[in-house]
Amino acid sequence: MSQKQKQPSTREMKQRLKRAEPYVWMLPSILLMCAMIVVPIITVFRLSMSEISRANRVKGFNGLENFKDVIASPTFWNTLRNTLIWTVAVVGFSTLIGFVLAMVLNQNFRGRKVVRALVIFPWATSLIIQAVIWKYIINADYGALNVLLSKLGLIDHFVNWTATAGAFFAWECWVGIFVTVPFVTFCVLSGLQSIDTTYYEAAAVDGASFWRKLFNITLPLVRPSLTVSTVLNIIYVFNSFPIIWTISKGDPADKTHTLVTYLYKLSFTLGKSGQAAAVSVIGFIILAVCAGIYMMISLRGEEAD
Amino acid sequence: MKKSLALLLALAMVLALAACSNTTTPSGGGSATPAPQTAAPQGGGEKVTLNVIISQYGNYTQDWWPTFEKDFEDTYSNIDLNVEIVSWNDLYTVVSTRISTNQAPDILNIDTFADYVADDLLVPAEEYTSAELKAKLIPSFWTANELDGTVWALPILASCRALFCNMDLLNEAGITAPPKTWDEVDAACKAVLDTFNGSIVPWGLDISGDEGQAAFAYYTWNNGGGFVDADGNWALNSAENVEAMNYIKSLIDNGYCNANPYTDTRYPLQDAFNAGSQAMMIGACNMMSADSEVNYVVADLPTQTGTPVAMGVCDRLMVFDSSVTASKNADEAARLDAVSKFFDFFYDTNRYSEYMVYEGFLPVTTDSSELLAKSADQFSVGGTGAPGDNEYFANFSSILLSCDFYPSSRAEWIDVKQGVIDAEQRICQGEDAQTVLDALQAQIAG
Repeated sequence: MSQKQKQPSTREMKQRLKRAEPYVWMLPSILLMCAMIVVPIITVFRLSMSEISRANRVKGFNGLENFKDVIASPTFWNTLRNTLIWTVAVVGFSTLIGFVLAMVLNQNFRGRKVVRALVIFPWATSLIIQAVIWKYIINADYGALNVLLSKLGLIDHFVNWTATAGAFFAWECWVGIFVTVPFVTFCVLSGLQSIDTTYYEAAAVDGASFWRKLFNITLPLVRPSLTVSTVLNIIYVFNSFPIIWTISKGDPADKTHTLVTYLYKLSFTLGKSGQAAAVSVIGFIILAVCAGIYMMISLRGEEAD
Repeated sequence: MKKSLALLLALAMVLALAACSNTTTPSGGGSATPAPQTAAPQGGGEKVTLNVIISQYGNYTQDWWPTFEKDFEDTYSNIDLNVEIVSWNDLYTVVSTRISTNQAPDILNIDTFADYVADDLLVPAEEYTSAELKAKLIPSFWTANELDGTVWALPILASCRALFCNMDLLNEAGITAPPKTWDEVDAACKAVLDTFNGSIVPWGLDISGDEGQAAFAYYTWNNGGGFVDADGNWALNSAENVEAMNYIKSLIDNGYCNANPYTDTRYPLQDAFNAGSQAMMIGACNMMSADSEVNYVVADLPTQTGTPVAMGVCDRLMVFDSSVTASKNADEAARLDAVSKFFDFFYDTNRYSEYMVYEGFLPVTTDSSELLAKSADQFSVGGTGAPGDNEYFANFSSILLSCDFYPSSRAEWIDVKQGVIDAEQRICQGEDAQTVLDALQAQIAG
């Protein structure tokens, strides 16, 4: 009798353990995420609604004062506009150039491997090193670009490539595009290589043009790769700090900041950590909305499939 | 079996993660290398711990301090001294993060202190400065650290700024003497530009976020303006300042200076001068590198008033209140006694003179100033090992006494500093100088 009673309880325990097993497996990741993601997010939200002294001492809750101060500053709105231009320009152009490059690299030609290695080079180099190199290339007094152009006889005196804030920012966008292209190229290339060549053969037999094949075979089939690279790029580029900080630090007159460099300056140069946290929260909300839209679209896509 | 083992490993990982978590709860953002964790001695008569952050003044700063640390600990066996060298690039981030997590050093070497005073984080200097030390500090440097009637910090070293001219380049351009007025600067720049067809930068200008406030001081002070008026009130929008800002803009517009003064800090400008590709610049007294072959002269800053005003820069040492320090010494009196011993040891005539020669900065004590003016050559320069230059210390130490300094002991200084940099950049990008400076004055003075 006692054995009969014991058997089901052991089985029950085993079942319970089995049910709990996935959660035990996930526990390390969950703890890691809590420690590295959730706690900092909560801390930043708390700091954004706190009065913080210049010496970085939290003085107490001050509601939305930091947000009001941030929004009242014209620099913030210029920075927000810059952030949108920066993200759209870098992600847009790098996707376009990366796609074309991937198409080229998908062809069979001599030295393809060497070209592929060269394309990945900017991606394999640290962003700060890239930014420093570009800063020296475009320097008007001793930069490589001016020296090269004058040796080729294309200019007779050195050109100031960064005379205005707009010119500075355009160069920074270019550097952003240059370092982002390899990532897109290899994402798209992996998508292109998974396309069965028989589709193209069949289309060729039917007399389809290059553009027809591009829009009716290539683009629909690399769409998943393109979506992944675009979404990841939006997040990376939006939050990118090294290029702008290394090249201009947001100057001249704070006109080349993006949200990330602006909040860094607010916190560590101007000693306004509360306002910096508020800018950080605003950036987080913008990205969360973008991610939400992406999730909705991709979930709908899955349902449709 | 494999599953159980894997489960066990997962649990071990969880426990390891839990064990890794810090016991203190940070209250501020940012991340920096944590301060050395030191066990707090309980009860009297035990070891006192002193954590010190020293700013990195040169490439060899970190080689001098370990010897100091060892000598100090050999002399005072009951004091555990931890000296940490932090670069100026990271200093503000590190200090700010440490303060927010109550991990501040006992002694900090930095440029300003008003923000720390505002939060009651500092110990008044009278509480740890010995009578002997106070007597040998140059009086103007002692009072320069006064705020609301209390001295909050000690000067660690000073430097002064002067006009450096590459005489080979100027002579080739037909200029025989360093320019004394702004008109002469313009003439010299034009001559250099015309002679070298743009391959030599005539004038080095830095209005970057790094030290743009220095340019504001050089040009406004030498035009009769400045940060404050004769009564000590903020006077950022004076007519003299507007004129000085427009003059800076004219240097850029005429192509007389480096192409990117908004982002070129003093360091690439110094490099260019040392390499002989820039004819003139206003720089720190120790900006010439030992291996430079440039034939240069040091001159007064060009002035419009007839009386050149040199600029002095002075950094400080300050002591944090034990409530925010990482050392957590139980006995505050013993800690302040150790701090006092640290300063007496550091400002010892020979040791302090040796450090000044090593870093190339100017002493702020009378005894070291006198010693170095006569026999700096008994000490060696950091990195090269070359003997110190008696003439350098004699000349610059005397200039230092007549220098003007930033009003950096005022609570508004950080806003003023960033404000004038921002104003300079806006004006040089084409905004109206009077309007920009009026707005800054209204923001600062209310």
